[in-house]
Amino acid sequence: MLDVWLKVLHWQPNAGTTVNTQILNEVSQCVESINGVKEGRWKATLTYYKPMLRDQSQATELPRDFLGISLPEQPNKHYFIIRGPRIVLEADSSFQTIMEKLQSYKSRVALYFEGFQYQLGDFQLRVGKVTPTHSDNLRGIIMEVEYLPLSSLEKSRQVMEEFVDIWQEAISKRSLPGHFMHIEPSFVEYGLSDHYSSQHTAVQYATVMAQLIATQSVQAARN
Amino acid sequence: MLQHVEALEILLQGLCGVHKEHLRVHELCLKSGPNLGHVVSEVRLLCDLEHPEPWTVKHVGGALRGSGAEQLSVMVRNMVESKASKNVLRLFNVLGYKLDHELLRVGSAFHFKRGARITVTVSSINKMLKLHAIDDTVPVTLGIQVVEVTAPATSENYSEVAAAMSSFCEYLAPLLHLSKPGVSTGVVPTAAAAAASLMSDGGGTTL
Repeated sequence: MLDVWLKVLHWQPNAGTTVNTQILNEVSQCVESINGVKEGRWKATLTYYKPMLRDQSQATELPRDFLGISLPEQPNKHYFIIRGPRIVLEADSSFQTIMEKLQSYKSRVALYFEGFQYQLGDFQLRVGKVTPTHSDNLRGIIMEVEYLPLSSLEKSRQVMEEFVDIWQEAISKRSLPGHFMHIEPSFVEYGLSDHYSSQHTAVQYATVMAQLIATQSVQAARN
Repeated sequence: MLQHVEALEILLQGLCGVHKEHLRVHELCLKSGPNLGHVVSEVRLLCDLEHPEPWTVKHVGGALRGSGAEQLSVMVRNMVESKASKNVLRLFNVLGYKLDHELLRVGSAFHFKRGARITVTVSSINKMLKLHAIDDTVPVTLGIQVVEVTAPATSENYSEVAAAMSSFCEYLAPLLHLSKPGVSTGVVPTAAAAAASLMSDGGGTTL
């Protein structure tokens, strides 16, 4: 069974509420209240690509869920994901230049995940906001929990789950209008091995983004 | 001709001071589908069969043009490369790219530094009889090997790199003359004698 060393969680607002900076501040304070030590800033970037079609009216089977992600822990790498057929690709950062040169897909929307990194015992937490690269509009709140087995060689899955439970309890005491959610994608469908890698993290981000978009579409429809 | 290739490898080994690396590369050229992009685009995927992962993705741009480019003895062109996991072919297929042609390059490569980071490859080009059948190939041009000399350069230093490449190529002159891609130089008259001399010498000479 896959040992997950890193989980990406996202803030799921209660029905009828939206995410705001006050919630983000409360979440950051909550990390500090459980003795998380602020270490510095953190930033990941996600780009959606759209096919450049010669004839827009012509029906096409080209993917519309093609995205690229750069992660801070792998600054020279770039990850590409197509969710439909479950493809994740690890490439050098220069792959983005190749995509530009090909002139067949153009970047449609780019988002930043940015915030602060905290150290808490064997865990590293990253809490951040999701915003478009060109504005400060808050689109979501994201949290990364990474297990760094500095003192224990126990299986990470159980340790991670226990930690997330503690975290959920701590955040629930603040009576915020929503909760953190974790959706574990089917890594096997993406052809990923049992050895956790940055490709697994990239797939988690793509899954979280799909969930954020779906939630916002539902809210937009309600409004 | 085979004797010339062996002689060339001996000469290169002596010149570069490095041992040859075996080259066995499966190269796939993909082109964008009919409705994708305003013009047809092309990308190359390379799988080094000696080290099957990662693959290399290569975009080869147009050649530098103008009178300055014509005066250079080498072709200058924009090239972007990236390593990628082995499912890169599947990714491009899903993105709407189709296989245009594929080939198997077999030979040897020499990597060394001599005024520039130069790579020399001596290889035969083979085509596949069935799709992706790398073990079932025939040479495109029987008995002919392609010798390629390449070096990375930037827009600031390409003339120095071109000069370093030209001066290196002069050492190969007894055996072969190199030209820009697409221009044939024909067989060098001194090749047979030079090859025989190199073969009898056993490669002991360091130039």
